[in-house]
Amino acid sequence: MSTHAPETTPAAVDDDIRLHFEVQRLYTLEAQLLDQHRYADWLELLADDLHYWAPVRTNRLRRQQALADGAPGEVAIFDETKASLAWRIRRFDSGMAWAEDPPSRTRHLITNVSVQAGDAPDEYVAESAFLCYRNRLEREVDIYAGGRTDVLRRTTDGTLRIARRTILLDQNVLLAKNISTFL
Amino acid sequence: MRPTAPDHSGTLTPSSVRPGEDRLARVAEPSVDVSNRFDLDRGLVDRTIFSDPAVYRQELRRVFAPSWLFLAHESQFSKPGDFFTTYMGEDPVIVTLGKDRKLRAFLNACRHRGMRVCRADAGATKAFTCSYHGWSYDTSGKLINVPNGGDYPAHFDQDRWGLIEVAQLDVYKGLVFATWNPDAPPLAEALGGLTWYLDAMVDRDPEGSEVVGGVHKWVLEGNWKLAAEQFASDWYHVNISHASALMVMSPTGKGPKTEIVQAPGRQYTDPLGHGHGFPTHPKSRFDDRVVHEWTDYEALRERLGDARVEGPMTTGHGTVFPNFSYLPVNGSIRVWHPKGPDKMEVWAWTIVDKSMPDEVKNAQRLYNLRTFGPSGIFEQDDGENWSECQATAHGFVAGSMTLNYQMGLGLSEEDGVHPGTTGRLYSDGAARGFYARWRDLMNTPAWHENEKDTP
Repeated sequence: MSTHAPETTPAAVDDDIRLHFEVQRLYTLEAQLLDQHRYADWLELLADDLHYWAPVRTNRLRRQQALADGAPGEVAIFDETKASLAWRIRRFDSGMAWAEDPPSRTRHLITNVSVQAGDAPDEYVAESAFLCYRNRLEREVDIYAGGRTDVLRRTTDGTLRIARRTILLDQNVLLAKNISTFL
Repeated sequence: MRPTAPDHSGTLTPSSVRPGEDRLARVAEPSVDVSNRFDLDRGLVDRTIFSDPAVYRQELRRVFAPSWLFLAHESQFSKPGDFFTTYMGEDPVIVTLGKDRKLRAFLNACRHRGMRVCRADAGATKAFTCSYHGWSYDTSGKLINVPNGGDYPAHFDQDRWGLIEVAQLDVYKGLVFATWNPDAPPLAEALGGLTWYLDAMVDRDPEGSEVVGGVHKWVLEGNWKLAAEQFASDWYHVNISHASALMVMSPTGKGPKTEIVQAPGRQYTDPLGHGHGFPTHPKSRFDDRVVHEWTDYEALRERLGDARVEGPMTTGHGTVFPNFSYLPVNGSIRVWHPKGPDKMEVWAWTIVDKSMPDEVKNAQRLYNLRTFGPSGIFEQDDGENWSECQATAHGFVAGSMTLNYQMGLGLSEEDGVHPGTTGRLYSDGAARGFYARWRDLMNTPAWHENEKDTP
């Protein structure tokens, strides 16, 4: 589903379905890799110039709603490059990352996907909603829910890579002791 | 902005109680004697102090209510009407800059039915209006509008029903603190000898410091003292808890060398309960590379002296008693808000030196969020430790066992380099100091329990 005027020619509808299916399949693969803690494989889905950003959400008076989502340059839950994500992932692989030992059980559910053309001919803007359930040790449960806006880029080998991701976690005070996965 | 002791006329803080005012005497609560939960000379602590609900109620009224508590950073307020909401203990408060450019803090509770009069985290406003019945207060806390005012009796005096203001508010090098306690010593005196150490973070730059926009907030299943104590005293956990983070941060990618792990260093403790620890090995640093390269260490040596550059400025950690902590190298300042005996909420700000170029400020911001933000490679493991300590606190046997706080016992001294009493880096010294102060406050009736203050 996209907000632009629907293309009604059979060929255009066909392209739209193919693209939507391709993006769905990318997000499903990504969710599986994260839930299996295969972070190095997950990194392969990200473009080298990645910006991965989760601003902090604040409660603001209605007339100051424009300030409710953290701005670039403010504190954020994530504000990452591919290199800084790789750095975080090396920590998981150290064998001494106690916050994930024993590992959590997570389930990333990705839904409400929409895709439209992006600014560049090889780019698309994809919106999705996520719900990540984390169960840890005996009875710890955390739910991270929110929306993502991605810029997806088609690479020269024809596959889609995630080049930008903005994550709006639907929480003010983060209702978890940490975030030890990716969203 | 002029930090001053507020004028109490027209407010009903316990300090300003006058005969004839519309105030009931506070109902006294039974108190618990905590002296038998410690033998600090032998480094022994009874673990029930982390889980007992009666102890928790008492620390809200005898530790939090009488102490200076951190509210915000001065740079969060630039124009009259700017406000920020936070907590003092479990009490919600509004911090706001008045039209007179005076910074004030009020209980965020309407005098009529007690609802919060401000439900935004921060912003700008001319008035705080309760959305229940419409009582409205200006930025100096004065009650300026009462709908249907004609239906109140003749003796209803609007001037007596302003927002309840803190007894004292003051600023130390950008850090805004307040207390409900009219008898508390001035802030600088309450910070005491810790300021020599704290200045390694907040007095590096002649221009001062400022906050990066926004506050990290997250919840933790753990008693607030677990975190406050650790930041005062605990370098010990770093090499084990944070082994994975040290590995990825070390130049070799394999972890720090033994000579750095076995780092010399000192740990400051004082009778006010404050603590600050730091390694003194020149390579025991976690600085961000961009920040490190920009830093003019020669100028800092001149400004703060060699001992501070080589000591508390390295990779120090500190706590201002009771619940404000800081990490000089990471630019993290944080409050451990108590939320019941088993829960705390962490509020963490990032501060930078004002004269840093934008790219250096940004490097410090990113470095802090990647290390000590809620997804940070250090913070993740700290959260796990505290929640796991709390998880075993409810068994009868585990919850009442005696804990060992003996590290460094008998080894504290004046070393002639670092002012006040310091011990080895690896020590429970500042934790013992923290709990000695906590125990004494818990066993001393606070000003509001003193009969002379009740009408």
